[in-house]
Amino acid sequence: MSALRVAVVQFPGVNCEDETVRALQRAGLAGEIFGWTRPAAGLREFHAYVLPGGFSWQDRVRAGALSAKDPLMLTLIEEVEGRGKPVLGICNGAQVLVETGLVPGGGTVELALARNHMPGRGGYLARWVHVRVEASCCVFTRALAPGTVLPLPVAHGEGRFASRDPVRLARLRGAGQMPLRYVTADGRDACDFPDNPNGSAEGAAAVCSAKGNALAMMPHPERALDLGQVSRCVAGEWAERRQRAGEAGTLAAEAGPGLVLFEGLRRHLEES
Amino acid sequence: MSPARAQRVAQAWVALKSDDPEAVSAVGVARRALEAGRGLLSLRRFRLFELRGELPERAQVEDLLHRSTQFYNPHKEHAVVRMEAGSAAPVEPDEQVVLVFERDGERKPAAERWWLHVTGLALEVREGVAWVLRFEAGVDAARAAADLAVLRGPAHGLLCNPHAQEHRLSGSAVPLPWMAPARRPGAGSAR
Repeated sequence: MSALRVAVVQFPGVNCEDETVRALQRAGLAGEIFGWTRPAAGLREFHAYVLPGGFSWQDRVRAGALSAKDPLMLTLIEEVEGRGKPVLGICNGAQVLVETGLVPGGGTVELALARNHMPGRGGYLARWVHVRVEASCCVFTRALAPGTVLPLPVAHGEGRFASRDPVRLARLRGAGQMPLRYVTADGRDACDFPDNPNGSAEGAAAVCSAKGNALAMMPHPERALDLGQVSRCVAGEWAERRQRAGEAGTLAAEAGPGLVLFEGLRRHLEES
Repeated sequence: MSPARAQRVAQAWVALKSDDPEAVSAVGVARRALEAGRGLLSLRRFRLFELRGELPERAQVEDLLHRSTQFYNPHKEHAVVRMEAGSAAPVEPDEQVVLVFERDGERKPAAERWWLHVTGLALEVREGVAWVLRFEAGVDAARAAADLAVLRGPAHGLLCNPHAQEHRLSGSAVPLPWMAPARRPGAGSAR
């Protein structure tokens, strides 16, 4: 068991905690579910944190709004902003990080994850999309070459990064705080639905803090840990890998596109 | 052909017959985590529809709303309809109201299509959430409601994230109409 402990913070209604723990373990980290009823001080014993996906507090008031006010989050903010520990928010976890202001940081709430904008329809969308790694200081993607394209699944109704400041997201992108952007399968900017699945400004699939240690991402990397999980609707390089692994009978053994983010966390923790 | 009716506005205030879990959670969090929530005595939640167009008389509006699940489920919820500014909203004199709706997302196209299909009349339907707050005596209720309304950080605000939502504040004399279409320089008509 790795000595590097990562707390998977579980609020009521979260439903991706088990696969998130498995993702951390597969990356060589000691993932542990940290329930909302435990004393918040226990969070200080961990090296990093993941807020997994789901519907914390049934999305009451607004997705992520109530969890963002939980006493656990006050301790987590101290550890992340004060001590520089990494935190990854996935989907509902991303909504919590945005609602606390940990992403993009600075002490105030500067973004929202708003309802999807999709032509001719509304509500929840689940599908595989492609994201491109951008040059950034993000600790989770730092080991990946900019331009790398990863197929990942999304599943959300409120995943559109938005700000009332019309240039805020463009500035974040320019500052290297947008480590993942939606693209087409061949890596070109996603201009339309469904390549950009929610109408996110600047095609933002993920936004990080200025230090790069807090990452809010809407796609689910924990659902793409091995090639057997990669959808048959995914084309290109990852489809070829899946095909070869299928023929060799190694689908579950070979790393999928989501694992690299958890491996990036492990590398960062080992170096720091 | 029926004579053309004047454009009118109606509000439908829809609330659960049982305790509303969203309101129960919100009041608990507001009291525990937010300075402005310390003096909060109660918090009620309504889904607020605003209908704008050639509306029939009040009884017919109530009947149409009752018939479609686009608006509410009469087995679980009840509705109060207002069609004149002087008619009372379901708000007590000592209560404050915070209206929250999605920026560019308040229109309800499916409800508009249903209304057109059933009545033959085009209608604009908007939906938001009206939070009705009552504070302890001695609290500056209007100020506390405003503080609770707009999310600014972990210790400030809850009901509206201003980066994706709009909000309106009122005492018990709730305006009608209240959810006016957004007007932006160079913008066309609302979706």
